[in-house]
Amino acid sequence: MSSPFESYDDLEDADERLQAADPAERRVAIIALGHSGDPAAVGHLANMVADPDAGVRQQVAMALGEFDGPEAASALVKLLVDPERIVAAAAADSMAEFKDPACAEIILPLVGHAHAFVRMGALRSLKELRCKDTLKPALEALQDPDAAVRVQAIGVIGFLKLEESIPALTALINDPDAHVRRAAVSALAFSQMKPAAETITRALKDADWMVREMAAETLGLNVNGSLAADQLVGALTDEFWQVRLKAIRSLGKMKIERAVRPIGHCINHDQANLRKEAAAALGEIAHPDGEAFLAVIADDADPDVRKNARWALQQIAARKARAGA
Amino acid sequence: MALDQIVDGLSEVSCDVLVIGGGTAGPMAALKAKLKNPKANVVLLEKANVKRSGAISMGMDGLNNAVIPGYATPEQYTKEITIANDGIVDQKAVYKYAQNCYKIIEELDSFGIRFLKNENGDYAVKKVHHIGTYVLPMPNGETVKKALYRQLRRARILISNRYMATRLLKSSDGRIAGAISVNTRTAEILVIKAKAVILCMGAAGRLGLPTSGYMFGTYENAANSGDGYAMAYHAGAALANLECYQINPLIKDYNGPACAYVAGPFGAFTANNEGSRFIECDYWSGQMMLEFYNELLSGKGPVFLQLKHLHPDTISEIESTLHKVERPTRGLFQQGRGVDYRNESIEMHISEIGFCSGHSASGVFVDDNARTTVPGLYAAGDMASVPHNYMLGAFTNGSVAGIDAMEFADNHDFAEFDAADVATERDRVLAPTRREDGIPPNQVEYKTRRLVNDYLQPPKVTRKYELGMRRLAETRQDMQEHMIARNAHELLRALEVQSIMDCADMAVHASLYREESRWGLYHWRTDFPEKDNENWFCHTLLSKQNGKMTSEKRAVEPYVVPIADDEKDLYDKQRIRATA
Amino acid sequence: MPLASYQTSVPVVVDDAKCIADKGCTVCVDVCPLDVLRISDMTNKAYMAYDECWYCMPCEADCPTGAVTVNIPYLLR
Repeated sequence: MSSPFESYDDLEDADERLQAADPAERRVAIIALGHSGDPAAVGHLANMVADPDAGVRQQVAMALGEFDGPEAASALVKLLVDPERIVAAAAADSMAEFKDPACAEIILPLVGHAHAFVRMGALRSLKELRCKDTLKPALEALQDPDAAVRVQAIGVIGFLKLEESIPALTALINDPDAHVRRAAVSALAFSQMKPAAETITRALKDADWMVREMAAETLGLNVNGSLAADQLVGALTDEFWQVRLKAIRSLGKMKIERAVRPIGHCINHDQANLRKEAAAALGEIAHPDGEAFLAVIADDADPDVRKNARWALQQIAARKARAGA
Repeated sequence: MALDQIVDGLSEVSCDVLVIGGGTAGPMAALKAKLKNPKANVVLLEKANVKRSGAISMGMDGLNNAVIPGYATPEQYTKEITIANDGIVDQKAVYKYAQNCYKIIEELDSFGIRFLKNENGDYAVKKVHHIGTYVLPMPNGETVKKALYRQLRRARILISNRYMATRLLKSSDGRIAGAISVNTRTAEILVIKAKAVILCMGAAGRLGLPTSGYMFGTYENAANSGDGYAMAYHAGAALANLECYQINPLIKDYNGPACAYVAGPFGAFTANNEGSRFIECDYWSGQMMLEFYNELLSGKGPVFLQLKHLHPDTISEIESTLHKVERPTRGLFQQGRGVDYRNESIEMHISEIGFCSGHSASGVFVDDNARTTVPGLYAAGDMASVPHNYMLGAFTNGSVAGIDAMEFADNHDFAEFDAADVATERDRVLAPTRREDGIPPNQVEYKTRRLVNDYLQPPKVTRKYELGMRRLAETRQDMQEHMIARNAHELLRALEVQSIMDCADMAVHASLYREESRWGLYHWRTDFPEKDNENWFCHTLLSKQNGKMTSEKRAVEPYVVPIADDEKDLYDKQRIRATA
Repeated sequence: MPLASYQTSVPVVVDDAKCIADKGCTVCVDVCPLDVLRISDMTNKAYMAYDECWYCMPCEADCPTGAVTVNIPYLLR
């Protein structure tokens, strides 16, 4: 009976197998190297990045995704610039798995590459590395003609959470692409400075509903979000109910008492989701004025709405009791 | 060589810690054990292949029970789980999970497992439940197994694929001594001596029969045939609250999750045929399933997961997760039926029954160190009794088990087992291969599971259970005397049927023992329709004593997180009674 | 009792032209949780030997050449 255990000798005849004449056989050898988990496999895989067969190179790109660190990064950047899209796409996916900050300096030069796909892949892989050296190139990439590249650059900058990046992120509020504006609004969440909150607030008036939705949600996460309470109240009349819902939730979280009436006026909306969030927010704020609105939905057809209304009334009662005591 | 030809062979290996099951909890247990003592030998034994085995073979679309600072507290979580399980919870293990799980999330993140983050790289936790905020989506969660496997290889864990463990070995003084297993492609026997053993063998997911009639179209990974429950039982370990079944709301016919936890944060909800929400309970629990069941029977069904009220862009975002992660064939299924979520809701139904602590509260009884009642034997994941585990619980409790088991192994030598036990087990395992003529495993399995549906599916009627017990006993006799396996693969199925039969017997026994109704639909006994806290506010422990299936009561441990009456009230008001 | 075999249409389909099992690849056979795929002695290509499928997808997702297609089993389609 052969050993019952998986082998850890995958590298033994690797070189020979990697030189097989048949590309399919080379692929099989590469798959085994990827699964080996043995860091010594990276060197063997790196030797294969110029294989004449695109399928083989694609397999190399996938196998390298099992490894982290500068050696794997050096091989993968060569595959990211591969003329075959299947190879470059596999390389981009593998590079997104990196965690070792030492990979950053190897990837950085590609942020200025001629092809948008390469720039995008490079930036995407830099996010998780959270390496300060990536800030400057990422800020430059905010001017990229390709919107998908700009979105990835925002991620790199946003993950670093540096106040110095706020002006650049703020400027994106006028970006022609909605995805860029949406990402920029989300990336501003961390900032302690008022200008960031002001920018997010302006995005409540964006032409695109998903940007407005993101702005309404992000204000709930930002430390200065409550400065925008009036504007959030304004968002309660947004034409999209999904935007209104996020505005209600943020106002509830911030416990904005002057929002009780405007939120209360949403309590009869057709969408049960909205009624439910309105009830929950009135409970979070716990102002006695909420009671009258909650009474309207006490017998709502939707059990989730009723449940939240009951909970909200309890919160208000508890607050009254505390005030009385 | 003919397909899966049977080879005669027996060999023996030994290790410090043996982990059985390489799905979710198992890899984490093996990894933590090895990291605790890198010099020790850790074997990870798997019936399939660790690369893609278990409930998360294609990854997971989100965490349902993440206790992340700033969003939820361990105290709050412990209360929620206690109430969702009608109070029958040893809180210590739940509280420990709640305290440790954030560390595990960060560790999984460092392995390369991807959670949803906002543009600041912070976890994008979503509120779905009424009170706590526990949902962390994983729209790119398809690489979970790949990332785990990478860690196992790096740590040089000894991985044994395609071996099915069949029985545990013990010493005369009752300590764990190892396990016996069989190769699923050759039928060769492998005996593994071990100082400590951790069972991570998943749910009993092939207990009931899906309504489609396709035996492998189960909610759980169909490889999860309840082998762990059967092995623990035969080793004399106690199993807790098995009457608390798993029953889930699923996409009709496809029989996979819809999945409300993915679509919920975006505003999707479960609705009746009038388009109205009807579920009061937040958690996937017996209470929720009872509400679901009642709605289906009330004439207001069918029940749907409704998305069509959402913006088309939002629906596209939901689809990109639903059709890529966990059960990616969901998209193919809907496409085949011409269902577009933009104008049609997803028809849902109720799954077959099973055992799974991932969603309920049953399983091999463990304490807060994942120890079973057998010294040196541990259990984690869907088969262990920590309630509402889900994937993160399997990882977190697997980690606890791995560390404690290695400590045990460091302090004990190998226990001696009786060689006759191996010979007996070998004969039992190979018996179906030694018959010339008989009934193939697929027929025995179909019949067993059909009986489970006919007699055991709640509501539980005592008379039906008694009849079911008789029919199952007859089928068991056929299985023991006439089942044949003509090759090694068929032998694998033949062994699985025996686990399924053991689980069916345990389900009957446990259900008849608890003379009350509890946990909503999971244990709704028409002959005892009320919850009886006076007599039954306790665990039930089932075990094999003197060769006989036996049940007893066990007190619920004093709570570490007390629950005030008005808090109970808050939840109780949301609930409807079984008899309503 | 004598045994009969009965016909079943299997959900997993392998494109022989793309399959490289004959070159030593065993990926789909390795990853299947239910162990239902085998490599044919006659064609040296992968095929579904047992109709016991959880339609879970690793065989299709991990196939290096895109040769494997998982369909929904007929009974629940």
